[in-house]
Amino acid sequence: MTKTSPSEHATAAPVPEASAKATAARSGFRIGPEGWTTLALFGLTVFMILASRLISSGFGSWQQAQAILLLSSFTIVLGFGQGLVILIGGLDLSVGVVMTLGGILAYRWIGTSLVALFWAIPCILLVTGCVGAINGLGATLLRLPPFIMTLATSLIIYGVFLGFTGGQPRGVASPALTSAYTSTFAGLPVILWLLLIFIILATLVQSHSSFGRRLYAVGTSPMAAYIAGLPVRLLIVAAYAISGATSGLAGILLVGYATGATLTMGQSYLLPSVAAVVVGGASILGGRGTYLATVGGALLLTTLSTIIEALGLAEGWRTVIYGLVIMLALLALRENMGIGWALTPKFRNTASRSRPGGAGHKPNKTGGNG
Amino acid sequence: MQHQTDEIDDASGGPAPQTPVLRVAGVSKAYGATIALNSVTLEVLSGEVHALLGENGAGKSTFVKVLSGIVRQGGGALSLDGTPYEPRSLMDARRSGVSTAFQELSLLPNLTVAANLTLPHPLKGGLGLASRSRNEARAVELLHQFDAADISPRSIVSRLSLAQKQRIEIIRAISHRPRLLVLDEPTAALAEPEWLFRIVEQLAASGMATLYISHRLSEVRRLCNKGTILRNGDSIGPIAIAETSDNEIFRMMVGKRSEERRQVASGSSVVRDVAIEVSGLTGESIHDVGFSLHKGEVVGVAALEGQGQRELFRILGGVARPLRGTISLEGSLVNLKSPGQALAAGAGIAFVPEERKSEGIFLTQSTCANVTLPLLNRLSRFGLVSSRREYAVAADQIQRVQLAERLLRLRISALSGGNQQKALIMRVLLSGARSLILFDPTRGVDVGTKQTIYEVIHRFVQDGGSVLIYSTELPELVKLSHRCLVLYRGRVAGELSGENLSEEGLVALATGHNIEEIRSRETA
Amino acid sequence: MSAFVSRKVSDQTADRSIRLWLGNGALVVSILYVLLFAFYAAAQGDVFGLQPMNDLANDTLPLALAAAGGTVVMLTGGFDLSVAGVISLVNVCIATQIGDGPLNALWGLLLAILIGLAVGMVNGALVAFGKLQSIASTLATMIVCSGLAIVVLDAPGGNVSDFIADNATDPILGVFPAAGAIALVIVLLWLVVRSTAFGVAIYAVGADETAASLAGVPVLRTKFLAYSLGGICYGLAGFMLSAVTATGSPSAGTPFLLLMFAAIAIGGTSFAGGYGGPIGSMVGAALLVLLQKALFSAGVSSFYTVIFQGAIMILAVLVGGISASIAAGRSR
Repeated sequence: MTKTSPSEHATAAPVPEASAKATAARSGFRIGPEGWTTLALFGLTVFMILASRLISSGFGSWQQAQAILLLSSFTIVLGFGQGLVILIGGLDLSVGVVMTLGGILAYRWIGTSLVALFWAIPCILLVTGCVGAINGLGATLLRLPPFIMTLATSLIIYGVFLGFTGGQPRGVASPALTSAYTSTFAGLPVILWLLLIFIILATLVQSHSSFGRRLYAVGTSPMAAYIAGLPVRLLIVAAYAISGATSGLAGILLVGYATGATLTMGQSYLLPSVAAVVVGGASILGGRGTYLATVGGALLLTTLSTIIEALGLAEGWRTVIYGLVIMLALLALRENMGIGWALTPKFRNTASRSRPGGAGHKPNKTGGNG
Repeated sequence: MQHQTDEIDDASGGPAPQTPVLRVAGVSKAYGATIALNSVTLEVLSGEVHALLGENGAGKSTFVKVLSGIVRQGGGALSLDGTPYEPRSLMDARRSGVSTAFQELSLLPNLTVAANLTLPHPLKGGLGLASRSRNEARAVELLHQFDAADISPRSIVSRLSLAQKQRIEIIRAISHRPRLLVLDEPTAALAEPEWLFRIVEQLAASGMATLYISHRLSEVRRLCNKGTILRNGDSIGPIAIAETSDNEIFRMMVGKRSEERRQVASGSSVVRDVAIEVSGLTGESIHDVGFSLHKGEVVGVAALEGQGQRELFRILGGVARPLRGTISLEGSLVNLKSPGQALAAGAGIAFVPEERKSEGIFLTQSTCANVTLPLLNRLSRFGLVSSRREYAVAADQIQRVQLAERLLRLRISALSGGNQQKALIMRVLLSGARSLILFDPTRGVDVGTKQTIYEVIHRFVQDGGSVLIYSTELPELVKLSHRCLVLYRGRVAGELSGENLSEEGLVALATGHNIEEIRSRETA
Repeated sequence: MSAFVSRKVSDQTADRSIRLWLGNGALVVSILYVLLFAFYAAAQGDVFGLQPMNDLANDTLPLALAAAGGTVVMLTGGFDLSVAGVISLVNVCIATQIGDGPLNALWGLLLAILIGLAVGMVNGALVAFGKLQSIASTLATMIVCSGLAIVVLDAPGGNVSDFIADNATDPILGVFPAAGAIALVIVLLWLVVRSTAFGVAIYAVGADETAASLAGVPVLRTKFLAYSLGGICYGLAGFMLSAVTATGSPSAGTPFLLLMFAAIAIGGTSFAGGYGGPIGSMVGAALLVLLQKALFSAGVSSFYTVIFQGAIMILAVLVGGISASIAAGRSR
């Protein structure tokens, strides 16, 4: 945390009692706003898969749905770590390179041996977790802006790749990893079962463990968490370390899927990982979002890009859509704003109220005791 | 509240009727449910220096904001030289002839004195560009004119002393040649207020009207003939300053409440073991502060804004670190490096900060999650929190602070300020600490919540806990605490207890006076 | 009393000059640059001729322009990541859409500026009026722009017209590097901007938004204009990059993201806003480019260069933070 956002002045403005009551009434349902976001994302994904039948007869099938699930497995895994880092108010731009690191190491260490699987995977997760921890230390101890720290580590790691691999990683894709994608268990590819286990575990960690609950506290307000006695720095480093480890895991999976490794294999998964988290309703300021919603975001984005590809649109449009979707999600998720903010006259009132020097600033000084 | 404006004007039978520069009639302002200004009425004539007096939280700063165009009033009317005055922005107010020297200072630390004096529109030289020499010349002219030539126009503001900054702030406000000059606590950091008095008198002689907001009675007496007192958002006055004694003014500022007798504290008077002992504590804004807090005791801290109380409380909470001095808990020295350590040290110190929203509660989390944060370890098995148990514990505990169970599932941001504060207090109680450091725990909360907080404090000390509490509301301190320390300019100016613990006494000490002196002067 | 005051003032002046000297990023970096240049000259040999000087200036200018723009935004307290997207987009547009000849070149320049301005205005609107975090909103615009760049040109290729490639990179009248001249113009323009109410407002907003608004500074408008101005600089940087590389690539701007922030940090601009300035950042950019060249000429292999850049990035931000806090007098 180098500087608090100026917009905090605006969001901390006294909430009129009426609107507070309205919020109270609305969130009185058992399914919270996050739950609805998740349902909406899954629903939209299913709808899009079914609707894509109109584009091509090969679409909308169970096979295609399976293919989308397989494709989105990497973003789903990456999204957990990225989601935790965004949850504590950071941003991890190194997930692409760390994913490559995981892939290259898996390619090299596991090979055709089945035994190697058991020592290599923990080792890879440890190495990539350490890279993540270094990011966390830079962000906390050195107080570097997270995006700079993570960009810098990714540059350094990339340089190390270049040096050690000479541009072409050597190794063999592990048949065991490949078979996770090709063989099936109970009618589904093995990887999907593994993914399901991962999602369950991750949800437990993020939303139901004391560790996860403390991360929410840190992300909501690092200062309040500090005053409440939480080890804020340690928690932040832990979040980055997990992000490193999940990136490594995604890299291992990618070796199995792509049956190979390149120096840029993880690169294209960085933006989807951020986009999935943000689309899933996490606030980039931290403290909000659930992992299931991130999973929904990942599925939605993967479906979207699959359809774009099928429409024959250039790869660039996919990126454009990622960007626009992030932008819209940011706008829609602003404090006290609905998606239709730009269209409603209410927006103008809010804007003028929070004008600098307006009622929004220094709310603490205005609360009279009358 | 009755406003006596007309009677007094008639009674004093002043000079020929004159249109006041500023006329304020029944102005009100509410922030949500909090009423900052109820009804303010006052007039400032041309050439007059009008005092505005009031306790913290009486509505002074809100009134300044209304006058300067930062917030719009909720009701009532303002007029300037007889024409309606409704500034929509700071610049709008300035164009209409009202300029303000703010208490929190609106100087930019990274700019030079000259640049600050000419904000936001620097003087232009040839080519239509800001000319450094012309701006500096203008600054030199202003600094000379207003007797501040010791400040170089090229100095970067961040390197000036606080007193110098305050002079620049005042000079900038004056430099716009306002019809009405608003000075908000202009002498808080000035070592030599005479400087300001000379300038204000000089300008008043040329017809400028001044609204002088201060808590220093001696200055007000020196400068103003008439004044208005703000109390809980209502105005009282105008009063003729010279004809009103200090004690009467204090009483008007405090109101009837001072007649309420102390209830809570009167109970236990048995001296028990020392819980916290502080000695020689020195920081950036406190000097050599020492006191002890016993088990079963509530010690109040009274002070005007900015007398070092914030730092003192943050040091005790483990948030800030002192430069010198020692803190011992139950007889053993401790080094509080973080709030976590403070909680773990001895029987534990828990801190409730003033900024509830940014430092206290976790706005986007549910009330339940907010309350149970300190219990996560006890509530979890294998690292997983059982939400059923969590809810049950929370539902059981929040009865202690009279919080409705249905609020537990809501996001805490949807709760009223009072309920948020209850949840925060609950969380702090659940942390198990035996000493509470409460910084203005009742700021901006409703009467019911205040009562609940008083009861919680009362019960806490009856069980052997100890509480150090700062409050901007003096009656609260009088009511709650066994003893009350008063901080003035970073030092303990005095301690009142027992019969001597009264609001007037606190106000006098907090403004640098000595109540005994005042009383003896009055009786003499 | 008066003696006391005057002594205090003189103390302050001495104190100030030391602090200003230490905290003046441009000065410290310039000295570093000279030292590094001496090393480079020793390693490389022929560096003082017009042609090597011209090459060095050409390689430096795109990053220097980008850093200047990023600094304006950072002075207001924001981070602008859109630089990478804008440079890529401008680069591919120049490489594919612009024909040969002076008129086309002019149109290309205008297009570059317009693209930068448009993106900057979107950033400014999102941050100032939309009240979004600068990192998040500029990340989004960066992604959109990189996507559009791929739409325009999906693989490295294209061809920048000879007119642009020659005239913007060759020495003017055969005596002075064109890139150097452009850098000088930018420096002069900044000196002009700094002397306007807007220029003062940029520093005011970055130091303390609340105080700035109490002093009557139009905070939102200032932020909006700062992002717009930053965008224009990125557009120009993209144009110059196209002229230097004479080819297009949809990822041409990617390296600029990190390098730009490194240049700003080295140049002594505070990442918290309010202190520093584009001139320091431009020298910082020159230092980074020279460092790459020096490492290359010293025979260091390219992967070390990449590692070096990452390490320097971190160091620069750390050192930059310290020097900015010295300049701000907050070095407690």
